Amino acid sequence: MKGRFMFTVGLAGLTAAALAGGAAAQQAAPGGAASAPNVGQMAPDFSLPGSTRYGLLRDPVKLSDFRGQTVVLAFFPKARTKG
Amino acid sequence: METYRDQYVTLFNNGKKVVVIGISTDPDTTQANWARESSFPNLFASDPDQTVAKLYGSADSKFDTRNVFVVGPDGHITARMMKFNVLSADAFTELGKYVQQTLKSSGGTDRH
Repeated sequence: MKGRFMFTVGLAGLTAAALAGGAAAQQAAPGGAASAPNVGQMAPDFSLPGSTRYGLLRDPVKLSDFRGQTVVLAFFPKARTKG
Repeated sequence: METYRDQYVTLFNNGKKVVVIGISTDPDTTQANWARESSFPNLFASDPDQTVAKLYGSADSKFDTRNVFVVGPDGHITARMMKFNVLSADAFTELGKYVQQTLKSSGGTDRH
């Protein structure tokens, strides 16, 4: 009984520590340039609603679907801006 | 994305073995309409919550920063150009060079 209680408390502590660590990491890198992946690293995979000039795509755009090809990811602020 | 379109053949091998994905916070319908009106040859991906922009260190408050990443056939990043200057012809030339290098499967390069 006591052992089980200790285990539960321990687990809760670990979870709290992990959450705190995550929050700290988030604070240090809120999606800004410092958190950009470097050359040589795996590009983080993603899946997003996609489109082309022919309309909306039925399937999401998934980065890992393009293995075997060179992919250029171009982030930009807003549609209908020059560039 | 106009310069990407206008130099699609030279910089991006006319889409042969090269996939260009423009990512912004715009709704997918806005991207699709803009792509149709401007005859953009590339893909667009809609990231309104900046989930992916954050993964790539490209979220600047409400909008995405113009960062460009080149991803090789094995999924590794081969080049990145932070705060890409779309008004600079040299920037596009450099991007084209990175794409060609990646197509030839050489090592990566970095530029800030």
